[in-house]
Parts: sequence; C-alpha cells; structure tokens
Amino acid sequence: MRPWMKVMAVPAIMLLALATGRAEEPVPPPALERSALDAEVQELRREVVDLNRDLFMLEEDLLFPASTQIAVFVSMDVGTFFDLDSVQIRIDGKEVSNYLYTAREREALLRGGVHRIWLGNMKAGEHELVAFFTGQGTHERDYKRGATLAIEKGVGSKYVELRISDRVRKLQPEFIVRVWE
Amino acid sequence: MASTQDGADARRAGRIVLAIAILIAIAAPVMASTAPDFALRSVAGGNHRLSEHRGEVVALLFWASWCGDCRRELERFERLRVTYAPAGLVVLSVSLDEEPARAATIAAAAGIDYPVLLDAGKKISRTYQADRLPLILLIDRNGVIRARHDALDEREERGLLVQLRDLIDE
Repeated sequence: MRPWMKVMAVPAIMLLALATGRAEEPVPPPALERSALDAEVQELRREVVDLNRDLFMLEEDLLFPASTQIAVFVSMDVGTFFDLDSVQIRIDGKEVSNYLYTAREREALLRGGVHRIWLGNMKAGEHELVAFFTGQGTHERDYKRGATLAIEKGVGSKYVELRISDRVRKLQPEFIVRVWE
Repeated sequence: MASTQDGADARRAGRIVLAIAILIAIAAPVMASTAPDFALRSVAGGNHRLSEHRGEVVALLFWASWCGDCRRELERFERLRVTYAPAGLVVLSVSLDEEPARAATIAAAAGIDYPVLLDAGKKISRTYQADRLPLILLIDRNGVIRARHDALDEREERGLLVQLRDLIDE
C-alpha cells in the first residue's frame, strides 16, 4: 500500500468503526431519545454561551489591559435642540472613531441608553481628546460642534463621558465632556 | 521507483487540497458568510445600519449612475419591495456615486421608495467586492449572504425569485 493511501485509510477506518459502534448500541424509544437529545443540545448551547463570554472577557483583558484602558461613552439628555447624526473622536490629533447614529440608536439614547463609542489603550501622561458632534440644531439647521478635554492618564482605566443635553435658557444644545472619577 | 511514484501522488493530492482551500478562501468573504456590518448616510438624510435589519431578509443592491444596467435593477427591486415588504423583505441600495445629487436624480427617476445609501469613499463596496455593477446580494434573517447576482436576465430573475421566496419562508 502507498503511504498516502495509508494516511487516508486511518480516518476511513475510524469513521467505519464509529458507524458500526453506533449500530451495535441498543436503540432507545424515539420519544426518550429525542428528549435526551434536546437536553444534550441545551447543555451544549449553554456551554457555548459560557465559553463565548469567557473568550470575550479574556480578549478584553488582553487587548485592553486595565492599566492603559480608556473608554469613551455617549449619552443624551432630552435632545430637543439637537438631532444627533454622528460623533467623531480624535485623540492627540488622530481620529480613533467616527460613528454614525441611526434613528433607532438616537431613540435608545433619548430613552436613557449609554453607548460605548470607543475602547482603546493610552500611555500614561497627558493627552488631548477632541469630540466633534454633527447633527441638526433648531430650525433643522446643520450643526457641528467640537469639545475638547485634556486627560491626565495615570495607572488604571479611564472613562470619559460625552454628554449631549439641552440648555433651555439659551435654547441651544450643550456638549459636556467629563471624566468619570 | 515505487517510492518516487508515491511521492508524486502525494504531491498531487497535496496540490489538489491546496487548490480547494484557496478556492474556499476566495469565495468565503462573499458567499455563505456573515454580511459585514456597515452604517451609511442616505440621500434622504438619515443613517442606516445593516445589522439593524437582522430578522428580516435584506436585498442589498450596489449601483452607480454611470452603470447602464443598474436603473433596470433599481426598478425591479422597487417592484419586489412592494410585493414582499409585508413578508419581511427590506431593500437597501448603495450608490457608488461621488456626487449625492446624481444618485438622488437617478433614484427619483426610477421611482424607488427604499433607502439610497451613499458610499462615495467606496469603502463598503470594496468590502463586498463590488467590482462589477450592479451587484445584488440576498442576505437571510441571520445576516448571512446567501446569493450573489449581477445584472439579471429573465431566467436569472426567475432564479432570484425562487431564492427570495425560500429566504422569506425560512
């Protein structure tokens, strides 16, 4: 027999053995077999979900270690004077995120949702974060506003909130950039 | 002598396996794979994100104003949208035009009522390998690309209808 035939023969024999092995097992009643199979599938699904969660946490820990991690969140309060279209984030002059908001996402923000727009790493020291908000202001006029924040990154993760709210007295939107302590 | 023959056979088998792997790798990004998500501005002004249509069958149509066959496809998909939207079909078109006004003019002339998204930077069309226009993709309720077509003739339209109905029935 040629060597490559031998290589192919191994999985073929294993498959044959599996097939014959299954054939010799006593056959349970169909209803019992089905419920056992369902339970097995549910168990398998649960294991996959657990594994996926663990992998996600491991990935976050590896890619964004707590010592260098920075996360930026967007939140919206009322929004009468501003219809959000997009948010662009620049850190030290480099664009790190440019996110377009759909009507559904705007609705979620208005209902109190908070969107993590960017998660990244940053070296310790001073940095500058600039956020540009694009959308429509009052009377459906195009509106673009920038807000700047100087960040002192030390040891430990940093969380920045970009908050859009209404300044009722001036009938204008207000853009607040702040670090969560 | 026999070992030389064995070596040649093994090498040939290896080459065949490699060729199949390469073919699978080439086909993988556009067929039977999850449709890459995107968010684009529409001519009408709002933004649309593909992943927001999970649970619906999506027909994604890449086109441009300078493409001769595209207008026919735009009109065809308006008819399909009218018929199948109640059953869960969503039609999204992506224009590769650099000037939004041109896309808007053609869309208005074709009388379409589905979103015309703008990909002037060609980033999304490159991701979807839209090197020939029109490009039609059918995406199932799980966000998986299930069919890919270019300009359709009568026979291909019948095929597309069968695929579309199958996806809606799933």
